[in-house]
Amino acid sequence: MSKAYSKPAVWMKMVSLSLAVTLVLAGCSGGGGKSSTNAAGSSSSAAPAASAEQSSAPAQGGELSYALATSPDQLDPHRSGLAVAVRVIRTLYDTLVVQLPGGEIKPWLATEWSISEDGKSYTFKLRQDVKFQDGTPFNAEAVKYNFDRIIDPETKAANALALVRPYESSEVIDEYTVKLNLSEPSQAFLGNVSQALLSIVSPTAAKKDGDQFTKHPVGTGPFKFVKWDENSEIVVEKNPDYKWAPETVGQQGAPNLDKIIFKIVPEEATRIGSVQSGQVLAAETVPPQNILSLKNDANSQLYQANTVGLPYTLFINQSRAPWNELKARQALQLGINVEAIVKTLYLGTYEQAWSPLSPGIFGYDASLEGSVKPDIEKAKQLLDELGWKAGADGIREKDGKKLTLHYVDGSPNREKRNDIAAIVQQLKPLGIQVDVEITKDVATVVYANNNYDLYGNSQVNSDPNALYSIYHTTAPGARQNLPNLSDPELDKLLEDGATEQDQTKREAIYKEAQQLIINKAVIIPIYVFPYTVAASKKVQGLAFDSLGYPIFNDVYIAE
Amino acid sequence: MLKVVSVRLYTSLLVLVGTMVLVFCIVNVLPGDPALLILDPSSATPEMIANLREQLGLNQPFYERFGEYFLHVLQGNFGKSIVNSEPVLPKIVEHFPATLALTVLSSLIAVVIGVTLGVLSAIHRNRWIDIVARIVGLFGISMPTFWSGILLILIFSVQLGWFPAMGSDGFSTLVLPAITLGFVGSGFIVRMVRNSMLEVINEPFIVTLRAKGLPGRFIMYKHALRNALIPALTMVGVIIGDLMAGTVVIETVFSRQGIGRIIADAIMAKDLPVVQGVIFFSAIVYIVVNLLVDISYTLIDPRVRRTG
Repeated sequence: MSKAYSKPAVWMKMVSLSLAVTLVLAGCSGGGGKSSTNAAGSSSSAAPAASAEQSSAPAQGGELSYALATSPDQLDPHRSGLAVAVRVIRTLYDTLVVQLPGGEIKPWLATEWSISEDGKSYTFKLRQDVKFQDGTPFNAEAVKYNFDRIIDPETKAANALALVRPYESSEVIDEYTVKLNLSEPSQAFLGNVSQALLSIVSPTAAKKDGDQFTKHPVGTGPFKFVKWDENSEIVVEKNPDYKWAPETVGQQGAPNLDKIIFKIVPEEATRIGSVQSGQVLAAETVPPQNILSLKNDANSQLYQANTVGLPYTLFINQSRAPWNELKARQALQLGINVEAIVKTLYLGTYEQAWSPLSPGIFGYDASLEGSVKPDIEKAKQLLDELGWKAGADGIREKDGKKLTLHYVDGSPNREKRNDIAAIVQQLKPLGIQVDVEITKDVATVVYANNNYDLYGNSQVNSDPNALYSIYHTTAPGARQNLPNLSDPELDKLLEDGATEQDQTKREAIYKEAQQLIINKAVIIPIYVFPYTVAASKKVQGLAFDSLGYPIFNDVYIAE
Repeated sequence: MLKVVSVRLYTSLLVLVGTMVLVFCIVNVLPGDPALLILDPSSATPEMIANLREQLGLNQPFYERFGEYFLHVLQGNFGKSIVNSEPVLPKIVEHFPATLALTVLSSLIAVVIGVTLGVLSAIHRNRWIDIVARIVGLFGISMPTFWSGILLILIFSVQLGWFPAMGSDGFSTLVLPAITLGFVGSGFIVRMVRNSMLEVINEPFIVTLRAKGLPGRFIMYKHALRNALIPALTMVGVIIGDLMAGTVVIETVFSRQGIGRIIADAIMAKDLPVVQGVIFFSAIVYIVVNLLVDISYTLIDPRVRRTG
């Protein structure tokens, strides 16, 4: 097989040649092709879609086929480490509370809660009418079991373990009241409890199936697990007993759909192709070029929701000269044209990020938008001031040392992040030598050897406290934070933000922290990652939760 | 003949052991700590890393680990997946039929297109059919399958709606991937058959047959083709291996189940026991296929039997 790949020159030519052929083919079929699709596919013209919008009651029944970009690793929420798993997990399980866009927390499996004076214990009153899909009653014991399960090393919990921190223990007060104790106060805790990875699983099923619970998941969610054919599909069906939806969804009872079939289709052209050919009704993660074309497609529609948390951000490593100096970092901030990156790589379909937090999260400071504009002259001047003078080859030098920037990227071209490295080479005219290192072994290069000047990362999160693990000074001996930063002023803000109970004050604290991070040029925010879904016009009612994950409760198929 | 087969069996066994060593080395010679490679560096705790090192057996000395691995493989124990703790071998066995069906169908397509075009182009050398065959051969070899596969999806699923774009249930989902993959193999076979056919046509025994006044078609298909197919047959063994490797890309493009997909996913998830298992399993299949090719060789060509 490798023979074809080992000759890039030949196949590159073939690709461009055949691309031309495709364009011609596509052009020819502009009239004839369209009509044949309509004739072949079920009668999906614009008319039924229009009439569906007029009808008031959503259609009942039907199956939604939904193509996922990668296979979920686990359907055990406590053990999952992949965002893609959350799409399915959200259909099978519920959480104690739900978060509204903007951060406000509302009841779900818990009807109300109170926080102790010291902020270290949360007492939840639970709904009394909830049953797991296997018949197990939902009660305080079940909640205690779940939280204890996450911190039990035997469970091999993954991301849930980080979310549940600083949880310590639970007390069952009565059948429907449970008290969760923390080792230290945390304002982020309640938001974390709303996250899908802290979903409540059936204690009976989890105890019985152990390691294999992930293959036989049981929760209290709107859909029940049917089967998981590896690398092919995951099927869930309506939970007819469901009547405890949170206020974020319209349908309080059981969902409209009879079934959801999650198909696993890793190749993006195939994924979009199967929506256009009618083989599936919806597909996630649409590449930018298709986002543009789908917007003009009469048979399909595009759903788009920005994910919430920390946007994709380049961190400047402050432990290495000259980037420990503010002016050098500011030169990068002014020299890298983020707008050009976002426009070129993502064709304007992604929003540019301006802050260490993404819009939609509690405390986001919108005033930072548009605050940093590229300014090459100013950047050059700053480097001049530091004594870096242009050498013979145009690269700046100081004391016989060249001004270099080591850019490390670890993602195998996920969302074109590698290409950002190429664009960051814009810094050359500034007199900075950019070395790009693409490696899978980020653990060694970045975290163990500290061998980077610029490294990018992002995180989906529900609370601005996510800043703490990235920007707060780390304890002696612990692994350094990404920008290798230790700023007492910022530390104080992040500590206060983690515990401040007055929401207005807390918001102000985080705004100050964001401004400080940008003003001290700690990072270069790049883009906010949108979750995108291409769907047939027949698919109605798809919604997104506060983090940008799809919610299927209200979906119906309009015929 | 028995001797030929036993020698082949013996060398196959050697190759198998060699593969085992290589596969084992994938984990142990890789730069960096496999445990750190597998876990997410930004969230893994030191305990998680220690646990995984324990699970992978990285704390034992090299020879002990190899011995253990060797014994386990002999017992059919290929280890457990790191991602979902499922045993590796049953998973491969479950998914192999899908890959087998794809490989067999695409081999058939490759052989039928390849041999037909190869023979025709040799007989009608420098005529239009020869030019067509050579172009098909060139395209088959040079087009990357991930690309030609997507092209077929665009034309036959999105535009024409004849075949499904993805999935692995039923014959209809097998058509496009098998054509994509078979096309690659046919490219190699066209060239091979054409060359050996041209060689054979000019050999003295064909000239003699012609001189005897036998009909041209009879000479071509009864005598020339039989001789020309011998080198092509060896090629088929190699091509089946190539096609099996090609399923890694094809099964991903067409979103099919199969062991190619398993290894692709395992590589993405850095699930080393699964990667090892699939490579080793494919090596066994490859060795068996080549063994069969070698044996069938002796059936077609009497000379091999004698010289063994």
